[in-house]
Amino acid sequence: MLRTLLACLTLLWLPLGAVAQDLQAFLQSHRSDIADPSRRTIGMVIDDLVALDPPGTAAFLQAWQAKDIWVRADDGLFFRATRKSGNLLALHDIATGDRVADTVPGDALTQVKPNGGVRRLIGEALVRFQLSDPDIALRRDAVNAIANGLDRSQIVPLAASIEGETDPDLKARKEQLLTFLEARFASDPADRISAIEGMAGALSIEVRAILNQILAKDFEVAPTLPEGANIATILTPGNGLDRDTAYAALVTAGLARERIGADILRARLEAHIEGGAVGGVPVARLDTQPARERAYAALVAEGKAAPLVTVAAVDAALETHVFYEVYTEPDSTITDAARAALDQIETRVAFSQVADLTLDGISLASIYFLAAIGLAITFGVMGVINMAHGEFIMMGAYTGYVVQLFIPDYTISLIVALPLAFAVTFGAGVVMERLVIRWLYHRPLETLLATFGISIMLQQLAKNIFGTQARPLTSPGWLDGAWVVNDVVQISHIRIAIFLLALMFLTLLLVILKRTRLGLEVRAVTQNPRMAASMGINPDRINMLTFGLGSGIAGIAGVAIGLYAKVTSEMGADYIVQSFMTVVVGGVGNVWGTLAGATLIGFLQKGIEWFNPSNTLAAQTYMVLFVILFIQFRPKGIVALKGRAAGD
Amino acid sequence: MKLDPKNLIGATALSLLALPAAAQDCPVKVGVLHSLSGTMAISETTLKDTMLMLIDQQNEKGGVLGCQIEPVVVDPASDWPLFAEKARELLTVHDVDVIFGNWTSVSRKSVLPVIEELNGLLFYPVQYEGEESSKNVFYTGAAPNQQAIPATDYFLEELGVEKFALLGTDYVYPRTTNNILESYLKSKGIADEDIFVNYTPFGQSDWATIVSDVIALGADGKQVGVISTINGDANIGFYKELAAAGVSADDIPVIAFSVGEEELSGLDTSNLVGHLAAWNYFQSADTPANKDWIAAWKARMGEDRVTNDPMEAHYIGFNMWVNAVTEAGTTDVDAVRSAMYGQEFPNLTGGTAVLQPNHHLAKPVLIGEITADGQFDIVSQTAEVPGDAWTDYLPESAVLKSDWKDLGCGMYNTETATCVQMTSNY
Amino acid sequence: MRRSFIARHPSVLWFILCLALFTLLVTVLSEAAGVGGLSTSFVKTLGKTLCLCLVAIAMDVVWGYCGILSLGHFAFFGIGGYAIGMWLMHARTGALVAESLSGNVIPPTETEIGTAIANQIFGVVGASEFPAIWAFSHSLALQLLMVVLVPGLLALVFGWLAFRSRVTGVYLSILTQAMTLALSLYLFQNDSGLRGNNGLSGLQNIPGYEDTPQATISLAFFWASAAALAAGYILLAWVVSGKMGSVIRGIRDDEARVRFLGYHVESYKLFVFTLTAVIAGIAGALYYPQAGIINPTEIAPIASIYLAVWVAIGGRGRLYGAVIGAAFVSLVASWFTGGGAPPVDLGFYTIQWTDWWLILLGLSFVAVTLFFPKGIGGLFDLLGGVRVPWRVGDYGPGKGAWRQEEGRE
Repeated sequence: MLRTLLACLTLLWLPLGAVAQDLQAFLQSHRSDIADPSRRTIGMVIDDLVALDPPGTAAFLQAWQAKDIWVRADDGLFFRATRKSGNLLALHDIATGDRVADTVPGDALTQVKPNGGVRRLIGEALVRFQLSDPDIALRRDAVNAIANGLDRSQIVPLAASIEGETDPDLKARKEQLLTFLEARFASDPADRISAIEGMAGALSIEVRAILNQILAKDFEVAPTLPEGANIATILTPGNGLDRDTAYAALVTAGLARERIGADILRARLEAHIEGGAVGGVPVARLDTQPARERAYAALVAEGKAAPLVTVAAVDAALETHVFYEVYTEPDSTITDAARAALDQIETRVAFSQVADLTLDGISLASIYFLAAIGLAITFGVMGVINMAHGEFIMMGAYTGYVVQLFIPDYTISLIVALPLAFAVTFGAGVVMERLVIRWLYHRPLETLLATFGISIMLQQLAKNIFGTQARPLTSPGWLDGAWVVNDVVQISHIRIAIFLLALMFLTLLLVILKRTRLGLEVRAVTQNPRMAASMGINPDRINMLTFGLGSGIAGIAGVAIGLYAKVTSEMGADYIVQSFMTVVVGGVGNVWGTLAGATLIGFLQKGIEWFNPSNTLAAQTYMVLFVILFIQFRPKGIVALKGRAAGD
Repeated sequence: MKLDPKNLIGATALSLLALPAAAQDCPVKVGVLHSLSGTMAISETTLKDTMLMLIDQQNEKGGVLGCQIEPVVVDPASDWPLFAEKARELLTVHDVDVIFGNWTSVSRKSVLPVIEELNGLLFYPVQYEGEESSKNVFYTGAAPNQQAIPATDYFLEELGVEKFALLGTDYVYPRTTNNILESYLKSKGIADEDIFVNYTPFGQSDWATIVSDVIALGADGKQVGVISTINGDANIGFYKELAAAGVSADDIPVIAFSVGEEELSGLDTSNLVGHLAAWNYFQSADTPANKDWIAAWKARMGEDRVTNDPMEAHYIGFNMWVNAVTEAGTTDVDAVRSAMYGQEFPNLTGGTAVLQPNHHLAKPVLIGEITADGQFDIVSQTAEVPGDAWTDYLPESAVLKSDWKDLGCGMYNTETATCVQMTSNY
Repeated sequence: MRRSFIARHPSVLWFILCLALFTLLVTVLSEAAGVGGLSTSFVKTLGKTLCLCLVAIAMDVVWGYCGILSLGHFAFFGIGGYAIGMWLMHARTGALVAESLSGNVIPPTETEIGTAIANQIFGVVGASEFPAIWAFSHSLALQLLMVVLVPGLLALVFGWLAFRSRVTGVYLSILTQAMTLALSLYLFQNDSGLRGNNGLSGLQNIPGYEDTPQATISLAFFWASAAALAAGYILLAWVVSGKMGSVIRGIRDDEARVRFLGYHVESYKLFVFTLTAVIAGIAGALYYPQAGIINPTEIAPIASIYLAVWVAIGGRGRLYGAVIGAAFVSLVASWFTGGGAPPVDLGFYTIQWTDWWLILLGLSFVAVTLFFPKGIGGLFDLLGGVRVPWRVGDYGPGKGAWRQEEGRE
């Protein structure tokens, strides 16, 4: 009863509202559009609202964009709402912002959720309110909204706002956007050309987007080239243009007759079966293509079907037409300027791409190196095959995860996690060496199998404890984001950190092996344990420590890998074969070899990916194949030890 | 029908009571064929628990046909051949009346020949690639037209995306879905060069190059959108790399078909706010039925557990099966199948799911934006869309139609008006 | 010297006898030919286990006798399965397609049939043309030849490259592992033409025997597997006996010494490697029609490592040991993972064997390597009263060096 009354009231109110330009009334007259907005229909409503501009419009648009607008279920009125504790809302008047009600249960209202596309439109509408707003965050929003959807109408307000802009960065950005807008929409061609020429220095995606939009072109076909059109290229069938595509274009343009394929042929034959035969050929004989064509030819002769399009006819049709691409921009001076600018940019983009690929390669190599360096010690230096190496990586990653459970601050937790991961896996390594590996030093094949047993045990244990779902290991805020050289060359901070970590361990390991007593003893024990023992070195202790060191580094690698990828019980298995190959390709017994191996494998994989970007799996396959072949021809790896150290 | 002596009295008593048709072997056995170990365990164990909860709830209401329902749980251990073996065991050794199970397409393909040979009944709860119709399988998850196509429409119409990157894990679901989408996009006037397709292995972790390739797609000034069929763990590295590259949902929106509440729990979602997912169910759906469901689930499994789309599929499938059995008065597979057609059951997200003669459900399609707390904010909800076994957007399958009710054929060629084949292709 | 082969190796006779008895027992208990005490799915499991035993004895010869720890023999097993699977899929789909096309008004052309078959097989992975590797899939005889030829050739080429450059020991192991990895990665790609991750499925439906119940088919495959195992056992027992056997074992114990004695070590190794690969291929061809589906996960590196695990637990260097290991571990595994083992309640924690079985396996594996290098087969030595000197942790070649030769190169 009340509701009908209200509805009547609203109806009465509406014409009044339009005169009084009340925001709520405007919204009520478009209630369904606004409560459940779609990008296709909302544009006009927003335009109307902005044109009408009742008091409170800007605030409403902002709240709408932030999903702060709610509709009351009983009367359909819109409110701005802020969430209080639990499910309670505080309601504000839509136009004035005055508090209307304090604690309203959320069930009585429905939240208005504009989707991403609508939010973008709202943002564009907000531009004129925000461009000169004192709040710099709002000005940034406005500038971003302009960048997201360049439009002719923005030139004037943007140009007007530049003068009063106080923030130098934002001012530069506004000027840049103005150049973009002028390049596309300025009415004087000279202005456009100068704007375009001014853009040639940059290589950002935005600049290329503008130039490409100016250079947008359509594929067309005609008997002769049209006069006065701004032709981009003329294509010849068979050379840069597929003959079938060319003919299909002719057919679509209505300039040629469609070819009769096998399916259509059969359908036509089926339609003309008379007395168990088509065109004199019995149906049972129609099981080959030549027979079908014979039957069809008979039909054609009887005038019952259109003749086949012969190869000669296709050739003739292709001969007598021109295929070309035409710019949508009619002024050729502008397209020429844009073309020149873009060509200049693209050369630099190509160089940047090579640089980017190199960075990716270095990054991948450093990840492989970090994963394999522990193995370089246990396998490379000690000659012990440790199939559980991957699981040590996993243990390190889970240590990082557990630490984050207890220490919520990501930076501190990382500082704690790195040494802790080392300690945990060092311990695990020492225990494993004492319990299993030391009994098997001269039986490498059996070491392989025993450590494999340990590997499946550890993996299953991790599953039982942590579950099979991936666990979050979040990097601290200062490792978020990327180092951006330009829009092409960029690399995430976390990868840089991994690279530095890898570099650190390379140095550390070299120092330990070459400059310390421990390193000397390690090298002595691995070269000749008996002699070392008679010199007063305890080989047992050295082996234990070396193995612990290798395992500990694997733990730290685990934290690093977990930060950039994922933490699951199976993450170790993903790296183990790769790591072994890294060590083997690089050459056993030498840290430099591992570095060389990781670099080779990392770059190789990136290189193959570059050749075949749509299938990363193929890249991995070819990489493994290459490694197999490589080992055939250089069985000792890239850096082969010579002389007595090689143990020959 | 054979009567077990120890159930004889009960059965007689029952038949004396009211239902002559209820000369039913008690208890009614329901097979649960979900991996409890191996790589798929995490996803599938949840579904096993869902089934046990549903069965308990039904038993509290008095079971079905006057019998208690007894779950028979087996573990196919994420090993595809083992799925076929266990399905055979369920049907021949345990004599189950119906099976609820499977997650991956390959496991379903493994089970299909066995189910068809022994005339079993399988309820498959996961979104899949379509292009299949078996007399013995009810597909309660989404077909491509219930997930992929509406999501693409959302991209085209609501977000104005003009250039598409289809990223997927290299297996059958992404391959087929992307094939369908490619041909759908072309029918919508998107040019060949505006569709970038990439496949990565399972568990891919190195996403730097691919993400920068996607960013570079924007160089011709078109709005780029990513449609992701990336599966499982690989999503973590992908989203981390996206966040690191500073790709926000405003620049390049990503819509995922395999990322749900469970997957997000392995991620810090604060950098991913606004990216999207398309499902038939989100935990955040605001209906009384959903509230009860979540409360029951959390009460049973713990406060920190989330609900997801395949769980709802089992919820609808199981309840429909119970209703069909009650209607048919028997658990006999053929009778239940006939009773299934046209079954209706309320969705947890509102509206009603209706079982189509092609063994698919009509369900609403929801699109959600990722929020900072690892949930989805529903920004679009369609009316119920009937699932389509054979997509209309690939020339070979556009002419095919599945109708087990009237045509009795899962692969009916509408052009030649013949049934192509009775068994499904596997 | 003129004693017969059997007389010199009584264990072969015993083995064949046991196998025959077992086959008879299963037949009597089966659903198809007997009292029905064993379900069809269990007969299939037993049949598959026999195939695994066959590949295990092949592995034993290559590792236990010849000292090459190949971590790639399951790749050959998988190739055999793929080879037979291609024919099974092609023929089954061909029959279906022929039936559906027979309804056409105009009889189909060869191309149309081919396209329809390809469409059926590859439709699920979004392709519709036969890749080149399916060229022989229409013919059973040719595909059977592939079962033998492809693994054999691959092993020959790979072995030739590896042995020629004297890659031995752990290096060879890692290399073979890389080979399996490459193969499984390749097969995981949809573009490989073998249906990617989905693999080949529905292999249990034998074309031409659509109406035969699976109970009968499973029993037939069980017999075939038993026969293959018997034949393989005799063949390999013959290979490792006599002079050639001595040379092979000599290579295991000290390759350089055998080389100095004038034997062409590489040829012997290549022969053993290739022969066992072929046997693995045959075992795979018998296994996968019983399993029903083959896909790339089957040949992931882990599968080959399990193979080594079976042989090690069963006992290296004796063929029956490998059989015992493969049968024991795979059956126990299916008992544990199938929920057959009762959970152990410790009061504070309940051990669910589906979760803890792998830990048990891993532990027992470490224990076997450390304490019982002879595996389960070693028990037979106790029975036979064979006494060996007690050598703690030192089974295998030379003790002088701290690092064995195989660890270095």
